[in-house]
Amino acid sequence: MLEYQNLFTRVQVRTLPEQGLPIPGSPGLRLGTGFFSSLAGKFGDAQFGPIYLGTAGIFSLLFGLIAFEIIGLNMWASVGWSPVEFIRQLPWLALEPPPPQYGLRIPPLNQGGWYLMAGFFLTLSILLWWVRVYRRATQLNMGTHLPWAFASAIFLYLAFFFQPLLVGSWSEMVPFGVFPHLDWTAAFSIRYGNLYYNPFHALSIVFLYGSAVLFAMHGATILAVARLGGEREIEQITDRGTAAERSMLFWRWTMGFNATMESIHRWAWWFAVLTTFTGAIGILLTGTVVDNWYLWGVKHGLVSTYPAQNALTPEQQQLLRGRYQGTAPDTFPSYAPNVAPLMLDSTVMAVPADTTAKPADSTAVPPAASTAPATPAASGVRRTP
Amino acid sequence: MKSLRNQVQAAALAAAPALLLVLGGCIGEKQTDTVQVGYRGVAMEQNYDREEVAANFAKVKIPDPLPPAGESPPGPLPWRNVQVLNDVSPTEFLRTMTAMSTWVAGTGNCAYCHNVANLADDTLPNGKPIYTKLVARRMLQMTRQINGQYPQHVKNTGVTCYTCHLGKPLPNGLWFYTDQTDYLRHYLDRDGARVVSQEMAPRKDGNRSSVKQTEWTYALMINQSKSLGVNCTYCHNSRQFASWTQSPPARVTAYHGILMARDINTNYLAPLQNVYPAVRLGALGDAPKAQCITCHNGNYKPLYGAQMVKHYPALWGRPDWNGVPFKGIGTVSAPDTTPNIAVPAPASTEVKKSAARPATTGSSVGAEPAGGTR
Repeated sequence: MLEYQNLFTRVQVRTLPEQGLPIPGSPGLRLGTGFFSSLAGKFGDAQFGPIYLGTAGIFSLLFGLIAFEIIGLNMWASVGWSPVEFIRQLPWLALEPPPPQYGLRIPPLNQGGWYLMAGFFLTLSILLWWVRVYRRATQLNMGTHLPWAFASAIFLYLAFFFQPLLVGSWSEMVPFGVFPHLDWTAAFSIRYGNLYYNPFHALSIVFLYGSAVLFAMHGATILAVARLGGEREIEQITDRGTAAERSMLFWRWTMGFNATMESIHRWAWWFAVLTTFTGAIGILLTGTVVDNWYLWGVKHGLVSTYPAQNALTPEQQQLLRGRYQGTAPDTFPSYAPNVAPLMLDSTVMAVPADTTAKPADSTAVPPAASTAPATPAASGVRRTP
Repeated sequence: MKSLRNQVQAAALAAAPALLLVLGGCIGEKQTDTVQVGYRGVAMEQNYDREEVAANFAKVKIPDPLPPAGESPPGPLPWRNVQVLNDVSPTEFLRTMTAMSTWVAGTGNCAYCHNVANLADDTLPNGKPIYTKLVARRMLQMTRQINGQYPQHVKNTGVTCYTCHLGKPLPNGLWFYTDQTDYLRHYLDRDGARVVSQEMAPRKDGNRSSVKQTEWTYALMINQSKSLGVNCTYCHNSRQFASWTQSPPARVTAYHGILMARDINTNYLAPLQNVYPAVRLGALGDAPKAQCITCHNGNYKPLYGAQMVKHYPALWGRPDWNGVPFKGIGTVSAPDTTPNIAVPAPASTEVKKSAARPATTGSSVGAEPAGGTR
């Protein structure tokens, strides 16, 4: 008897490549006539091509390539065009957005101009690919579930463009790079007082984890009834057989309720779509409506209180009096002098909060030291007998 | 087909021990100790890799203290051109010099800093200044400043030359101006590490810190974390990094450490620029500067808290140790403190002798200018 394995299908059909069903209207230009790959057949359909090109697809690939080149060449330039260093440091290399001082103005190329250009072409490429997905779906007389699911992901992508627009600085945008974009994630969360307390961030995680659970349940269920032909979708639709029935019965027995062959896919679709959609809303609210999610959580009872343990002693609190700029609302009362809001940017020297302190601060820096790095304070001063 | 499956099973069985060995290598001896440092269940904890801690601990070699100084003949110091250690007895002075020669020069060689023909000279026989002596003099003043003015950071552990030098002329972690060390300028002349908003909602004229600024702060914090070999939760409650009320006490110590680093970089290290030969300067011609790792060397306390300075009153910067007056300090009058050649003395940093300074255990440490009055 033929042993049938689902994961690596051993039976591969070889015939003339399938050219697809006739559809109304022009099918457009297609590349190649199709060929078979044994390796591809182990993971999916063995047939490659012919692939539809089309205007949107061609320009999407072209613009994507331009963005890829801009990012890659900038990274390569950042290591002095050394091929070895480029490979060695690749995970740490970045094309960074413009520095904060440019706001929403157009910076020079090496100050984030290349970044904006790469972002422009990448966005164009993604949007054109969406057009392609939409057009292919309608031409095959399919529903438009695919393009709209893709649109949800694009909405999250664009949220990282709209949020910087709303807060007025390109510098908020996500750098291109492997670790740099992860570092940005950590910094973004810290800057806005811990995204953990952002309810839309929480919702996004719920849908993300939910997607994984649904995917596991669905995949496992179908594979489990594959021995009864459960993975043969076409036959299952016209002739339910025992596979689909058993898979539904399994869940009704297990949890009293079961999805149908249609609804399981709706669940999955909505979970996936809402992951990026709620995430995007969370990003758009950050910095625009809420500047510190932890404090938002405090206000709305989201933050748990627990006994202070290993915290500052009253003596230590005294040591901080007037020693730092800025006061958090949960700080100690005596450290909250009424000071004007501060520009807390690196180039700005903030004034110590306790301006009534008499002696000059030993940590204050003479102006000479902060102007020119090459000439720290008091250079050239000599004492002679 | 069955045989193929059997082969696969046999191969898997054969591979299993090897896999276990590989996994065992990962788990094996590498053990992590997790220490709770806050309220239970909120991930306020420190993780220590036992191997790493053991290796670090083994690396720390603390030299035996020299035998105590004997009685000194009465009268003023018998030497000329003593500008810093002129308040200690002659025997204690010699003992301190001997210790320094091994702590810093690593050779026990007086000639590293001195013109052996005339130890009082600040110049070589050919008339060139001995930069090592000029730097060492400034470093002595700095050591007294650290021990005397920053008890909130160095507590009763204190520092000696050895804390940073570890027997080498150049301490670890010296930094210069480059485009890679921007964030280290927080230890010199840049402020504004705080980026988290103090209010729930944004305001037009409120906190305008950028995410990039946050990344610089992040780099600075990771620099400190690595310098001390500790997690973020050593100093912060990570659910709100900015909050002082929820922070462990170590954050106050660290904060005074930043103030101290700025003080010594601004007033002691950077101004030595015109003393160093070009080979000791950075690409932009700036003097080497210190950061946390310079003293800490990856340990939460330098030298794991060894109180070396207890045996060297000349470096303590305070006239007593825990209220007990130090022997042989502050009793000798200085006959001649006039330098006989040009010495570096930055205008903004007139440093007085330690004996003239009040003991400062208590409040507002570091809140006064170097050598300032209260």
